[in-house]
Amino acid sequence: MKHILRNKKDKFNILLILISLLFIVIILSLAIGQNFISVRTVFEAFFDYDQDSTRHLIIRTTRVSRTVIALIAGSGLAVAGALMQALTSNPLAAPGIFGLNSGAVFILVGFAAIFGTPSMSINIWLAFIGALLAGLLVYFIASIGKRGLSPLKMILAGAAVTAFFHSFTQGLLVINQESLESVLFWLSGSTAGRDLKMILPLLPFILFAVVLSLILAKDINILLIGEDMASGLGQKTLVIKILLGLSIVILAGSSVAAAGAISFIGLIVPHIGRFFVGNNYYWLIIYTFIIGALLLLLADLIARIIIMPQEIPIGVMTAFMGAPFFVYIVRRGFKVHD
Amino acid sequence: MKDIKNYIVILSVFLVLAISFSNLVMAETRIVKHAMGETEINGTPKRIVTLYQGATDTAVAMGIKPVGIVESWVEKPVYKYLRDDLENVKQVGLETQPNLEEINKLNPDLIIASKMRHEDIYNLLSQIAPTVMEENVFRYRETVKLMGEALNKQSKAQRILKNWDQRVNDFNKKIKKKIQDDWPIKVSVLNFRADHARIYYSGYAGRILNELGFERPDKHKKDIWGVKLTSKESIPEMNSEAFFIFMSDNEAVNNTYKEWTSHPLWKNLDAVKNDQVFEVDQVAWNMAGGIKSAHIMLDQLYDHFELDE
Amino acid sequence: MIDKLKSVNKETLNLLGLIVLLLIIFILSLSFGSSFISPLDVFKHFFKLGQSQYNFTINTLRLPRTLMAFLVGAALSVSGLILQVNIKNPLASPDIIGITGGASAGAIIYLSFFSSRLGISGLPFAAILGAALISLLIYILAWQKGVSSIRLVLIGIGIAAAIDALVTMIIVFSPISTTVQSYVWLTGSIYGTNWDELFQFLPWIFIFIPLSFTFHKSLNLLSLGDKIAASLGLNIQINRLLLMIISVALAGSSVAYAGGISFIGLIAPHMARKITNRSYFHLIFISAITGGILLMGADLIARTVFLPLDLPAGIFVSGIGAPFFIYLLYKNRNNF
Repeated sequence: MKHILRNKKDKFNILLILISLLFIVIILSLAIGQNFISVRTVFEAFFDYDQDSTRHLIIRTTRVSRTVIALIAGSGLAVAGALMQALTSNPLAAPGIFGLNSGAVFILVGFAAIFGTPSMSINIWLAFIGALLAGLLVYFIASIGKRGLSPLKMILAGAAVTAFFHSFTQGLLVINQESLESVLFWLSGSTAGRDLKMILPLLPFILFAVVLSLILAKDINILLIGEDMASGLGQKTLVIKILLGLSIVILAGSSVAAAGAISFIGLIVPHIGRFFVGNNYYWLIIYTFIIGALLLLLADLIARIIIMPQEIPIGVMTAFMGAPFFVYIVRRGFKVHD
Repeated sequence: MKDIKNYIVILSVFLVLAISFSNLVMAETRIVKHAMGETEINGTPKRIVTLYQGATDTAVAMGIKPVGIVESWVEKPVYKYLRDDLENVKQVGLETQPNLEEINKLNPDLIIASKMRHEDIYNLLSQIAPTVMEENVFRYRETVKLMGEALNKQSKAQRILKNWDQRVNDFNKKIKKKIQDDWPIKVSVLNFRADHARIYYSGYAGRILNELGFERPDKHKKDIWGVKLTSKESIPEMNSEAFFIFMSDNEAVNNTYKEWTSHPLWKNLDAVKNDQVFEVDQVAWNMAGGIKSAHIMLDQLYDHFELDE
Repeated sequence: MIDKLKSVNKETLNLLGLIVLLLIIFILSLSFGSSFISPLDVFKHFFKLGQSQYNFTINTLRLPRTLMAFLVGAALSVSGLILQVNIKNPLASPDIIGITGGASAGAIIYLSFFSSRLGISGLPFAAILGAALISLLIYILAWQKGVSSIRLVLIGIGIAAAIDALVTMIIVFSPISTTVQSYVWLTGSIYGTNWDELFQFLPWIFIFIPLSFTFHKSLNLLSLGDKIAASLGLNIQINRLLLMIISVALAGSSVAYAGGISFIGLIAPHMARKITNRSYFHLIFISAITGGILLMGADLIARTVFLPLDLPAGIFVSGIGAPFFIYLLYKNRNNF
């Protein structure tokens, strides 16, 4: 299936439209919630700030932090997914499916079981380590064997590693039943309850990873043609793969650290991006970045309105939105190459 | 003739003795009705195993030291307020999954359990010892009654409940006198955790507060246990005239608590504005579920409202 | 000729070793627990030579539990074996493609919303229903003029993720009383097995394990690849469907009675392959025994290591199974 935007001008224009959409949804995210605040008030909160206004305070604290988190997690996961799909030549690759989520969660729960529930700032680094660990494990397992890294083996290795971490996590939670209740929301993904201050340390890493992947974009395009061709053309494929892997872990790890275990964004958004711009990774990464942020923000918006005052955990929301799409992709037989 | 008379007298004496003796024997075997049906219990059980926190608490209240208990939820393995009374009592595992072999090893003659938790092992438990089950884990009055029946200490149970009722009435009178027209007060029961906050609508603390005459905000009068809140925007949901807050004492929870209570929406709450925010003991208010812990909860209420007893 | 004899002998030796191991673990399971009953006394008990003081502990507590562990382990293992052939992938298992997830969803929904009214005895049926429905869904979604093994696997993984989210949401919002219970259930536990439950489970074993054996020829053919099997006259679609049904029935009923135990369906078949390389007739048999041993061993450890706590066996299945699995992969790396 061919992508719909054929020339640079079109790609650029649609990108602008998407970015404008993003801004609109950001404003909506700041305005909508348990207290419905008018758009005008949202603007006032930033440009005509009144310290005593509760609404302004709500906007500048809770709403801003969850919006930013959704943006970070959404774009980070989406780009990580796109990179993974290139790395494994597999249209079904995604951080969640490869166990990065469950690895992060496992390390967190394990830490909490031994040392007591960690504070948010430690959480973030733990999630990183967990994601890295899981990623390495999957890579290692899937590479065993004569035929090396086959796409299907990676997916199944990922599922096995996920199950492995998942059951250990469950085991720990069963032994320490009180702690179970404390991390349930974290386990299912959440954009609420995190201070912006804690998330900020992540930003430089994420920016670094995104920039790195943009720099690598050309090499990714070559890699997609086929590994033999790529080395034939002089590309140092191993180095590229390692750098790709690094970016993936940073992006996925940060997202999990910021927002818990959210599935399917990394899987689906790259495909939506491909629908627009095909497999030119330079454009694809940019589109995926924006669309990922957009989608997760929308999901977050819906998740916090439907059953007020409670919220549907965002990881659940994305799973429900994502599963039908995933099935569609499988049935359609999408390839990573055109 | 005289022989026959003698004979009749002896026979009647014998009959009377026999009947009263059999009554005695029959009275020794009671049938106790409970959530899972009926159980026959012989005499006065001495070796009891309690499989939920409320039952352990009530056993101590009735002056009995169980031979086996389950682990507590916090302050493991035994809550601090019960430690003195439960020294050297054997642990039989988790409340949710007590170890059947351990229970059997103790050779109990009565097991007190909860249908909510142990329904599926009722048959196995009954084979170890006569087993009675309370419907839930937080119904403190029913637990006292049930255990009174099962332990053949019905009058002790009645006295415990009467004592409780007396204190409740006393509290009621004194607080009405102190607060007068503003009574009854609307209160919220709140709980903070590492990653979310909760409002408890009903349950253990709710029942006791109801008994004492406290009211709940209209929003909290629903028939569910409560809600879990993840976003600070839901803070207004908590609103009422007074708050009773309990939580675990660790860094993550304290951080969350600090965050939520420094949010502007928090400062707008009535209880906060009137300085009626009370931190209370989570064991007594939520984790123990027995009659002794109910008294501790009541003590705290007396303290907070500065009433004398 | 001598080589053939040698290999047959080696296999027979392996098989004998396996059976001996089975008996040892069986006896150990009956010996260990909160109180130690020496293996000698266990023997005597069975032949009614010893005292009857062990009646309760052995007959009522340990025996049904051990038997259930064996049967569930066997069922899950055979289910996994069939799946791995059906889907032509050595890393497939009932939990990975969502069958266990469906059963868990059925069970958790029942626990959270119906058990207080209908009693806990309806739980197994809810679980089996859940497994059946989800498998049906996966099958239908994978159907495009037939079901290819790859499509089945991938859609299974996707649906499994969605079910996982559903289960998480239910647990998060369920009444507090059932949250912990649901989590224990999800981890997989044979705690509290009594004879009634065992007898309820037996029909599933007695029907579907022999049924698996009758399909051994199909399994042999399928393992050669769809094209070759078809050219040899096998009706791929019908066999695939029937084998799926057997797999789901075995896995669903296992999960219904022992909770969400994962990994056995993945690992045990591989362990079996190390022991025998012959036809699927033998493989089914050996897989069953291997799976049974694995779960019995895991349960034994789970209920003795942290006394007086009685932990879910599922934890230790992963603990034993996963490293062994990685070791297996490494050992067999040239054959993959």
